Amino acid sequence: MARKIVSTGRGGAGKSTFVALMSRYLKPPSLLIDLDPDLSLADMLGIDFHKERKRTIVEALYDAVNERKSGGSPLTPVEDRFKGMIWGDCVYEGKGFDLMTLGTKDLEGCYCYPDHLLRKTISELAKNYVNVVIDSPAGLEHLNRNIVSEVDDLFVILDPSDKSLHHIKKVKAILKEVGMMYGHFYIVANYLFDEEAENYFKDVGETYLGKIEYDKGVEQYNLKGESLHKLPEDSPAYLSVRKILEKARVI
Amino acid sequence: MGKIIVVTGRGGTGKSTFVTLFARFVNPKSLLLIDLDPDGSLAKMLGVDLDKEGKLTISDALSKIIAKGKENKGKQDTPDLLRRMTKDGEILHRDKKFDLMTLGTKFAPGCYCLPDEMIKDAIAQIEKNYEMIIVDSPAGLEHLNRKVTPDIDDLFVVLDPSEKSAKHIDRIKFVAKGVKITYRNFYLVGNYRFTPLESPVIYRGDVDRKCSSLIEAGVKDSSFLTGFTDEIEAYLLRTGERYLGRIEYDPRVREHNLKGESLFKIPEDSPSSMSVKKILREAGYGLVS
Repeated sequence: MARKIVSTGRGGAGKSTFVALMSRYLKPPSLLIDLDPDLSLADMLGIDFHKERKRTIVEALYDAVNERKSGGSPLTPVEDRFKGMIWGDCVYEGKGFDLMTLGTKDLEGCYCYPDHLLRKTISELAKNYVNVVIDSPAGLEHLNRNIVSEVDDLFVILDPSDKSLHHIKKVKAILKEVGMMYGHFYIVANYLFDEEAENYFKDVGETYLGKIEYDKGVEQYNLKGESLHKLPEDSPAYLSVRKILEKARVI
Repeated sequence: MGKIIVVTGRGGTGKSTFVTLFARFVNPKSLLLIDLDPDGSLAKMLGVDLDKEGKLTISDALSKIIAKGKENKGKQDTPDLLRRMTKDGEILHRDKKFDLMTLGTKFAPGCYCLPDEMIKDAIAQIEKNYEMIIVDSPAGLEHLNRKVTPDIDDLFVVLDPSEKSAKHIDRIKFVAKGVKITYRNFYLVGNYRFTPLESPVIYRGDVDRKCSSLIEAGVKDSSFLTGFTDEIEAYLLRTGERYLGRIEYDPRVREHNLKGESLFKIPEDSPSSMSVKKILREAGYGLVS
């Protein structure tokens, strides 16, 4: 069974950057799942999903619904049609990792249904991988939907504000109420931390793994939409992420 | 009916900071602020302690109603009860300059459709009492799909200097069009990371102190905070949307947020205050004198 890793945190903290950098060190094959409707993990990995003729979960779901309306046997439920599409259409195969993304929905209503479909398929997909890494959207709502009920490693990326402390408390309360189990709960500081902030968060009673160092390269690559995998391995961001992953015994 | 203003943007760009300073410097006869972010802390930035005031968030009120309903074996009408709670002031916090209503965090499984539906109902019920309503959105796009405010007067998007922000603009429009949210004005606002470090409006000493860890890491020039300011600002101007300017970097905002202190205490002539006033003037708002 694959090791399940979740990266979460407040908006703009650096969740996707962490996942993108982490993916370089993971033992292949690994599956990365971008749960953010404001998708950006693919951008950070330099992948143009549509150019690759891949579809997001939301797009595949639309297709499954339309196909059912327009023809074929009405006896085949949307869910089964969707499952038939997922491998061929939604999984991008990269070097050392595969990638799936939730996508943006432009119909009224929430993301419960696409998330539900993912929840149902994730455990089957996971059988084929050593690691499954989930990049969460900002906000807490996705946690309430309990997409993966058993997580091995949960990383919360922090920005240096009092709000991050509240965020940790809220995350824990939600996990407890929705019954999500986790092996390890880790906190990681983002590049904006200074010493004062680091000391503050070292004492909050959670396992603090260190800080993702500021890296000019990350900023430049993100701005230009280039893959973070092209960043040299001895750059500050990579070195610090490596250290964090070693501490968490992910590598 | 009040003027409806929605502030949105990617996570961590500074939506709530903007809303707080917006509320502080704008000058309507009556003002309602709504925090739609489950992970939100607008109250704190406004210097309001909702617990202390004995006020409930919409999510808390719902949990309370549902718990009570179980005791009474379902003899209740949730929207009705919630309406009564809004009226009684259990949900609405009243301050000198503004009233405040928050969505709050939900701990039960499932999405925020019901709390969002309830807050939509509550807004409809009280909006006529206000000349202006400012909504602080959560990060991400999902809340847009739920159409809490279908008819917006001014939609502000707060941006950080990255390609993702540019794509974010397109996605907002895509969702808004799909779910039929209308807006009269679409405004872009640059966040503090657009401020060049050598800019004269920055208290240089404070920056050096606060960013010491970055400076030790070899960050010497403006690119820490900006990443190609001119290039990106030029890009924003090219999008064809109305770009109102940027919220200047202000070490005091950072300090206040780290400590959880009210942004109403930041001096009026500090870079953040001055720039937000400028942005509001640019958008045609009347300000406190």
